[in-house]
Amino acid sequence: MSSPAPKSPELSDKSKKYDRQIRLWGEHGQTLLEAATVCLVNVTAVGCETAKGLVLPGIGGFTVADGSTVKEEDLGNNFFLDPTYLGKPKAFACMQLLQELNPDVNGDYVEESADYILANRPNFFDSFDLVIASNLNEKTLLVLADRLWDANVPLIYCRSLGMMGTIRLQIREHCIVEAHPDNRQFDLRLEHPFDALRQHLDGTEVTNKVPWLLVLHKYLSIWQKQQTDGTLSPRNYKEKNQLREAIRDEMKADEENYEEAIKAVNTAFGAGQIPLGLKAIFEDDACDQLSKKSNVFWIMAKALKHFVIHENKGHLPLPGVLPDMTANTDSYIALQHIYRQQAMQDADQVYHKCQDYLKQLTLPADTIDKRSVRLLCREAAGLSVLRGTRVAEEYEKSSRLLALVEDNELQGNLTAFNFALRAYERFLSEYGNIPGECTVEQDIGRLKSIAGKMMSDLGMHATISDDVLHEICRYGGAELHAVSAFIGGCAAQEVIKVITKQYKPIDNTFIYNAITTKSVTLKL
Amino acid sequence: MSVHSPNPALILQNKRWNGLRNVLEREGPFCKDDFSASSDNLEFLQTNCKLLVIGAGGLGCELLKDLALMGFGNLHVIDMDTIELSNLNRQFLFRRTDIGSSKAECAARFINGRVPTCRVTPHFKKIQDFDETFYQQFNLIVCGLDSIVARRWINGMLLSMLRYEDDGSIDTTSIIPMIDGGTEGFKGNARVILPGYTACIECTLDLFPPQVNYPLCTIANTPRLPEHCIEYVKIIQWDKESPFGVPLDGDDPQHIGWVYERALERANEFNITGVTYRLVQGVVKHIIPAVASTNAVIAAACALEVFKLATSCYDYMSNYLNFNDLDGIYTYTYEAEKSEGCLACSNVPQTVTVDDPNTTTLEDVIKQLCDSPRFQLKNPSLTTVMKDGKQKTLYMSTVKSIEVATRKNLTQSLGELGLQDGQQLTVTDVTSPSAMIVQLKFQGNEIEMV
Amino acid sequence: MIKLFTLKQQKKEGEQKGSGGQQKKASAAQLRIQKDISELNLPKTCATDFPDPDDLLNFKLIISPDEGFYRDGRFVFNFRVGSNYPHEPPKVKCGTQVYHPNIDLEGNVCLNILREDWNPVLTINSIVYGLQFLFLEPNPEDPLNKEAADVLQNNRRQFEFNVKKAMRGGYVGETYFECCLHK
Repeated sequence: MSSPAPKSPELSDKSKKYDRQIRLWGEHGQTLLEAATVCLVNVTAVGCETAKGLVLPGIGGFTVADGSTVKEEDLGNNFFLDPTYLGKPKAFACMQLLQELNPDVNGDYVEESADYILANRPNFFDSFDLVIASNLNEKTLLVLADRLWDANVPLIYCRSLGMMGTIRLQIREHCIVEAHPDNRQFDLRLEHPFDALRQHLDGTEVTNKVPWLLVLHKYLSIWQKQQTDGTLSPRNYKEKNQLREAIRDEMKADEENYEEAIKAVNTAFGAGQIPLGLKAIFEDDACDQLSKKSNVFWIMAKALKHFVIHENKGHLPLPGVLPDMTANTDSYIALQHIYRQQAMQDADQVYHKCQDYLKQLTLPADTIDKRSVRLLCREAAGLSVLRGTRVAEEYEKSSRLLALVEDNELQGNLTAFNFALRAYERFLSEYGNIPGECTVEQDIGRLKSIAGKMMSDLGMHATISDDVLHEICRYGGAELHAVSAFIGGCAAQEVIKVITKQYKPIDNTFIYNAITTKSVTLKL
Repeated sequence: MSVHSPNPALILQNKRWNGLRNVLEREGPFCKDDFSASSDNLEFLQTNCKLLVIGAGGLGCELLKDLALMGFGNLHVIDMDTIELSNLNRQFLFRRTDIGSSKAECAARFINGRVPTCRVTPHFKKIQDFDETFYQQFNLIVCGLDSIVARRWINGMLLSMLRYEDDGSIDTTSIIPMIDGGTEGFKGNARVILPGYTACIECTLDLFPPQVNYPLCTIANTPRLPEHCIEYVKIIQWDKESPFGVPLDGDDPQHIGWVYERALERANEFNITGVTYRLVQGVVKHIIPAVASTNAVIAAACALEVFKLATSCYDYMSNYLNFNDLDGIYTYTYEAEKSEGCLACSNVPQTVTVDDPNTTTLEDVIKQLCDSPRFQLKNPSLTTVMKDGKQKTLYMSTVKSIEVATRKNLTQSLGELGLQDGQQLTVTDVTSPSAMIVQLKFQGNEIEMV
Repeated sequence: MIKLFTLKQQKKEGEQKGSGGQQKKASAAQLRIQKDISELNLPKTCATDFPDPDDLLNFKLIISPDEGFYRDGRFVFNFRVGSNYPHEPPKVKCGTQVYHPNIDLEGNVCLNILREDWNPVLTINSIVYGLQFLFLEPNPEDPLNKEAADVLQNNRRQFEFNVKKAMRGGYVGETYFECCLHK
């Protein structure tokens, strides 16, 4: 059994169990995950693997919808069915075996097919935070996707056939505060020091014990005075080298902080401006026209915009995050304190503006808390909003696929396979059986004419390679477990991104070819 | 529950394999040239093909499941660890009641129960507990490890098991491919290694991120980060105060609690913020963040390569996949290059022939290494691993204390030194940028054997 | 490259390798350390001692400076090379109590290449030179023994006096040092 509960802080049992992931998305991400409920439509290997990737990290709940019963054929690729369930409802079987992974998670099931639910009680789906579906025929996919679009419920649709897999995310609008960029640029404001920083910089003697930031400031000031055009920071390689040389000339021994200042010349400048992504957010209608129904993200974004433009001379609120710099403790901590204080002040101003807007909208004050605003301000440079497209659009004339046609052929093996998988789904709708299930040769021809028809419906004069269609038919509907596990793992992570509002999800189609181990993401 | 059966007729009757059989029994335009579509393929996976999975953790659990459901019938798994609470968010073959039990045994039991067509044999042991005869039995080895040392060890083992033809080329039947996966947070990689042929672990050792080590003087005198305070307690204060009279154990909550309190005191003293219990644990235990999804993806990528290699249905990946789903989903495949000077895999043993081990002295062998046009060494140092597994320095002239201690070996015969036919010596010399392996061949040995 | 490789070709059961016996193979760390050791190019003030000549992973380095503050002293460092060498640096501790700004009383040594600046291209020789340099140019900027560093920075003569006193065996402040003069 587990070790006796220690007296130390933070070590609740749950916090221990989820420790390795909380280190990534934080307690707040975990809380959102535990509050979410998803629906799994169709019990397939790829669907169950996706669900597994959500049950393990502790999603709030999941409901499985499937109208069929367990057959021997189903056992080969799905880990969440076993021989004891032969003849029993699939939804029930896989719900039980999935839930057993984690007692914190609520499992539920309905013994109904997607078609039945859509025809008889389509609002069934509306209450979920997200729906996961897989291996549908074209008709069902389009009806389900439209229903979810209208209900504003995100859909993750997975395909796994033979060595091919795809993920399509349909989401209307997704606002991301914490994108967790791989290389974060530190915003130091050396070009535009705020008052407290200016005072500190001007009032501190530069020795070999102070953080490089002070060294850099000293020589930047000298450099600035030499510029006739009022340039505040070096713009190109030549100017950066001037500054580097100026610092190097003043070095007596090999002072570490001087060395670090020289290295920092390349990355220390330029932050604090409004990046393109944020500009688009500021100019978005949703930011401009707030209503009672506005997502709090947009209320905060508008307050942020107000702060940046009217109160902070076009600069972002200070993130207040300082990189580590070789220095003695006191001088580093003092500098860190100045950045943190300013960041709090900036965020408080944004917070007060949020409260003004809430009042105007007659929304309760606790709709937005200080913590969220501080987070938003810290991450301001990386805010992003994803606006998705309907799955149905892919079947309309405006299809974005047109850009991928060259020399009358769908370019790229991955694009071609993705299109072939759509043709496969229409085949299912039209013929009611699986391409290549019995005879490969005959079905290649049929699949080819379907693909051709789909192309011309889209107004595209293009063909798809016979080899791709042959390969699809060769599978005869086979779903291979390892391909489903790959796609399921990816899909689960996309769901977590959507639910926690952290990290950027795909926009909007991920295609994976396990034969070549290659993948691509397309916006379709 | 049906019993695992090697009977080919029964395998084909099992409808669970319908899908897999399409892929293995039909020709296709993208198949590998030498692929022969036939029911033999599934039969091979179910009966003769024997795989070893190293590690039954995050990747290992996924690998066992993936391989069992891709048709493999005979798996072995090694893991020396027992199950902990913090494993349960991704190591899905384990439950709360399994905490404290062997990962390998628990994982094997679960797979054997769920997938009746697969038999998993567990080994609750270290990889170093087994020798060549054990590893020899496998067609292929898949690693789901978090330790670089373990990867380097198994890499060395598989390289040492290569056999060579008379012309120095590798006997391809002696190659045991190694598929290696690794994950960290939302990033991961999978790679295919054909020992002796493609880049090995040592060739690309610099791909592993270096350990974060803060300067000792910063830790001792000018801490700035919470990590500095924690490292201080861990490296300096623990040994000084020895609060429990034993070395620091990151798994002992009392120990972590002590480090937490001391680190917090130190941080307060220096006005440093951010020492949390979780951070203390992370720094002390070198915890790498982990999620279920990345493990699932990387294990699946590894299992697919195993499947391709075992069935020849498609070309295996050449040879390194990087995966990252922080921003969208990103994969990148490239060919990691074999390093020509690799200590481990470019080290084809060089044969030195000895007429009579009972009259040939060590000095004679050294003379041969210096005089022979093939070697032309100047001042070689020689070591070997003896029969009992112990390292032995035979002679080293460049280090005085060792020279004195090993000088007597020079005049001894190889027989007296306990060296045997086929013994491998590690030889270093100024003339060569890295160590080389010299294999002794005793002439006339075959005649004696008859 | 090796398209012809197929798993089914592998002969398993029964068939066995050509060489005699089951000789264990030297690890990559072992190969590398042998190269490092056999090519040690020691300054005349340094010597190595291998208590067990068969064990190249554990040894001592003795530094006997012939100039500077520490002239006539004899300082022993214990090297422990792990199985992850050279990915990880060897662990080095000073076994002689020494009054030195960069070495503390527990024998911890503040030398960048032993920690933050280690990389696999470096060798045992690099460390030997780094350690030797510490005795020629003790560095008060990166102190481990803060008191010693302060004295060095503010009063070199006092520092020199303290060093000599410690090397002869005696108290410096509250701390007693064993004699470590070269006999």
